[in-house]
Amino acid sequence: MTELHLGRTYWFLQNIQVVAGGIVALVATHWLAPTAAPLLAVWLIAWLFNAWLAGFDTPATRAVVPIIFGGTIILLWEMAVRAYAIPTVILPAPSQIAASFAANTGILWTDFVQTILKGALTGWLIGAAAAVLTAIAIDRSPFLQRGLLPIGNFIAALPIVGIAPILVMWFGFDWQSKAAVVVVMVFFPILVNMVAGLRATDAMQRDLMASWAAPYGAALWKLRLPAAMPFLFNGLKITTTLALIGAIVAEFFGSPTRGMGFRISTAVGRLDLPLVWAEIVVAALAGTLFYGIVALIEKKVTFWHPSQRN
Amino acid sequence: MTRLMTGAAALALMAGGAQAGDLTLQLKWVTQAQFAGYYVAQEKGFYEEEGVNLTILPGGPDIAPTQVLAGGGADVIVEWMPAALAAREKGLPMVNIAQPFKASGMMLTCLKESGISDPATDFAGKTLGVWFAGNEYPFLSWMNTLGLSTEGGPEGVTVLKQGFNVDPLLQKQAACISTMTYNEYWQVIDAGIAEDDLVTFKYEDQGVATLEDGLYVLEETLEDSEKVTDLVGFIRASMRGWQYAAENPEEAAQIVLDNDETGAQTLEHQTRMMTEIAKLLEGSDGTLAEADYQRTVDILLSGGSDPVIQAAPEGAWVSTITDRAFD
Repeated sequence: MTELHLGRTYWFLQNIQVVAGGIVALVATHWLAPTAAPLLAVWLIAWLFNAWLAGFDTPATRAVVPIIFGGTIILLWEMAVRAYAIPTVILPAPSQIAASFAANTGILWTDFVQTILKGALTGWLIGAAAAVLTAIAIDRSPFLQRGLLPIGNFIAALPIVGIAPILVMWFGFDWQSKAAVVVVMVFFPILVNMVAGLRATDAMQRDLMASWAAPYGAALWKLRLPAAMPFLFNGLKITTTLALIGAIVAEFFGSPTRGMGFRISTAVGRLDLPLVWAEIVVAALAGTLFYGIVALIEKKVTFWHPSQRN
Repeated sequence: MTRLMTGAAALALMAGGAQAGDLTLQLKWVTQAQFAGYYVAQEKGFYEEEGVNLTILPGGPDIAPTQVLAGGGADVIVEWMPAALAAREKGLPMVNIAQPFKASGMMLTCLKESGISDPATDFAGKTLGVWFAGNEYPFLSWMNTLGLSTEGGPEGVTVLKQGFNVDPLLQKQAACISTMTYNEYWQVIDAGIAEDDLVTFKYEDQGVATLEDGLYVLEETLEDSEKVTDLVGFIRASMRGWQYAAENPEEAAQIVLDNDETGAQTLEHQTRMMTEIAKLLEGSDGTLAEADYQRTVDILLSGGSDPVIQAAPEGAWVSTITDRAFD
């Protein structure tokens, strides 16, 4: 308790300079750029409040501090757009984006289904399955290892803007070609992680399997696949965002008249920037959720791994 | 804080650094004969004679000229009237100051084998390629006048967002694609499809032509008398450039090639383009004909359930610049 108390006092002493500096900056700003003064004031107050909250290390404050930070950023954004009369085509205010989001939920849902569920998710699942099977094949045969890994590496180096139009030619305009782009994008990161994962067992464990006369299949199933899981999930987590980016960007190269990439590229031409930003919000939420779900599955599957222990 | 101050000071200096006579023109598309008039006028010194120092910014698939204008990246832009009026309705106060192109070069090019001979009866159930980024408005207006839904199905048309090439037609992913008389149509021909195997529907012939490649500025630019003087000189020189280009297509094409930094264009294609562009210039001295403007507005308003613009625009064009340039 005394330690904590000392800590609080120390914090206050440290921050008294900040408070003083802030007040000086505020006064200076008020004279030099009056429109910026309220912005700076809001920032300082929120920052000090947050710094003070962060001093109490409880679950509640740990949850509230980042929310206050994010909220402050959005509030400042709104204030800046209004104070400086920033045109909508350059940067819409959060309130405009929220209004556009609410007014276009139907469009946003159609686009979400087309791009995320059909394009990104399908491509991600096919790409991940193909990568895992290829990794096992590589692990089984040194011959394949020497041949397939460089090819996988080569595919990973292909620029998306180069392959997307070609895949649109092969698979048509609809979501199938977007899924194909995603397959190409996610294949290699998962492959590399899985190959490393299959080598993650140590000699002692493999010797134990051998001493039980375990055939290849049994050793793979009971020892090496479980041991590879942390590596596999690493690859899966990295590729969640790649899959979203791939599916959205692939739609720039020809698409039916729905989808997030289609909407983003065409709404800019129509100067409907709030809708573009609403799509970006959907993409951000979907990306976070997608990543979160994969991380949650990982927790359940690799509960035994040291990194999952609290 | 101090850095912010010096930044502001630098900005103020930069703004002061813009000389009288400096103008920036944002093109609608990449450097090609579609914009030969401006390149020729620059090459031949027509702008210099008017005391205008012009910077030409090429466009491209990811550049919406209206957005460049809104962001202050250009003084004048080349834009199609449907996109300009739609942007104006969205609250961007842009104004047409001159209209070098009299006719529209837009058309749908269809494969004869798709069995399309009459738009009124044969489009239903077909897949059509359309450009977006503001170029979809004329198409949507046309489909509305035909009473066709663009949501697909047997009674409507299925719309493909066409990329920057003619592949959908070559691969038969679409029955028809959008083409310009002076550009993409010839790309289809160059790809080895005979003219006899194609059917074309010009927007001009279908009575749904909207004005293309006009010159637009922001309203506030017209309140600055120095800028207005520069614009008058710019328009006069540009129209001289256009006249010269129309009379000397090969030389104009060569000038365009010299200005093309991408190296993607060929002399043959550019000469052909210039010849086609010359047809679109016929009958225009740069002054906007009110009847053409009215026709464009009427087509855009006739959008049925989802018109391109909701109300007839007010003050979307001025003749003050062209009047002063050509009196």
